[in-house]
This record gives sequence, structure tokens and C-alpha cells, in this order.
Amino acid sequence: MATTSAVDRLRSRIGHTVAPISATVEAGHLKRFTEAIGDPNPRWNTEAPPTYLVALVPASMHLAEAEEYGKGWLNGGNRFEYVEPVRVGDRITATARVADVYEKTGSSGSLLFIIFETDYVNQHGRTVARLRGTAIRR
Amino acid sequence: MTMQVGQEIPALVKHPTTRQLVQYAGAQGDFYEIHYDQDFARSVALPGVILHGLLKAAFLGQLVTDWLGERGTLKSFEVSYRGIDVPGRPYRCRGKIVKVDGPKIELEVWGEDPDGNRTTAGSATVLLNE
Repeated sequence: MATTSAVDRLRSRIGHTVAPISATVEAGHLKRFTEAIGDPNPRWNTEAPPTYLVALVPASMHLAEAEEYGKGWLNGGNRFEYVEPVRVGDRITATARVADVYEKTGSSGSLLFIIFETDYVNQHGRTVARLRGTAIRR
Repeated sequence: MTMQVGQEIPALVKHPTTRQLVQYAGAQGDFYEIHYDQDFARSVALPGVILHGLLKAAFLGQLVTDWLGERGTLKSFEVSYRGIDVPGRPYRCRGKIVKVDGPKIELEVWGEDPDGNRTTAGSATVLLNE
């Protein structure tokens, strides 16, 4: 199967992290995000709603090899763990790694699963949240 | 406040539009064309543009935070995307309490299309203020 080598190359990335990315939570961006999701809760004027961190910094790394597999991407799922609130002005550093890569064959053909894990740390060096995401190539 | 296993929390119905998908694409920085380019979406065997999984997660997050308010803290939140949803169709977010362990409450949450298919399934754990 022509795609096997792409899977092997991706599997060699398991455990690898990419350079951390930092970003500051800005009131304007937070407002655009909460407008986009349609959540008018005034609490989000200063505090990040549950899924906001995926918009602050990319939650997964771009793996060019993965695009040799299948036709398109699907998001399989996301799991967030929250340690402390994220607020306007916080400087968040995200570190993502490839946690797992595997292939599954089902009735509709083969799928490639890539599991990403991201840790989010604030300006005080404290972990504020963690995210585990499943990206699927089909 | 009483928290009982089996109790449903108030549902939240969202009415996503293609405009909202574009707004969300910009706000998240996810410019994958399946969310705003009909021709591209069809070229990868989709019926047309579809909702971002993470937009549906945001809807379910709102379901939980609207219900919880300031009474506690969201500790974990998980969603798994089982089916696609398209703009122009209402998306109903629902949830129910599945476990009560002192101040720790576990919820099952899910998103339904108008035919009642659970296109998103998930869970949330909240810790009530003492």
C-alpha cells in the first residue's frame, strides 16, 4: 500500500514536541471568538470560555506527511482539562506533541489517526489547561 | 441546589449559518476549506460545508457553563465527533447528570441534529463551590 511509508514516517514522530508557541489573551480577540461561537455570557469579557485556547495558538502541529494519506482531515475529538482560569492579559505558552499515530480499517476504508497533546502554561509558569485532540485523515 | 443522577440540564439550541462558520474560521484561525467553500467540501465527498467540530464543542461548552454559572468550576470537558452537521439546521445541545460524588458532578453531554441523531457525544466534570 502506497501510504504505508507515510504512516511509518509519521509514527517516527511520536513523542516529538514542536517549538512552544506563546500568545497573549487580548480582549479584542476574545470578543471576536465569543461572537463567533454566539455565547453572550458577560463572563467571557475577561475570562476565556472552555474551548478558547484552540483559537489562541494552534492546537496541533502541521504534519505535511499526513497529507499524503487520504483526501481530507476530520476532527475526531477533543478533551480539555482545566487547572485554572485563563484571563485577558495572560501570556500562554502552548507545547504540543504527537502522542500517537495509528491506522484503522473500517467498512468505509482506511483512516489514519493522529493524537496530539498540548500543555498550556501561563506567565507564572503554572499549567492552566491540557488538551488531547484526535486528527483523522480519511 | 439539588443535583440528582439522571437529571437533565436545560437544552441549548443553536442555529448555525454559513456566516457563523466564516466568523468562526476567522476567530479560530482554522481556514480548512470544508467549512466555507461548497465546491471544495463536495470534492472531498461531503454534502457541502460542515460545522467545525470545535464550534460544536464550543456550543456544548456553553451548554455546561450556562447551566453551571458561578456555582462551580469546569474541570474537564471531552467531545467526540460522530457525524457531520451542516449550517441551516438547528443544533440542539443536551446534557444530563450521570454521577454525583460530593461536590464533583459528572455530566454526559451531546449534540443532536433535527432528526435526533447524536452527531457529537461528550462528557464534562464540574466541581461545585463548597
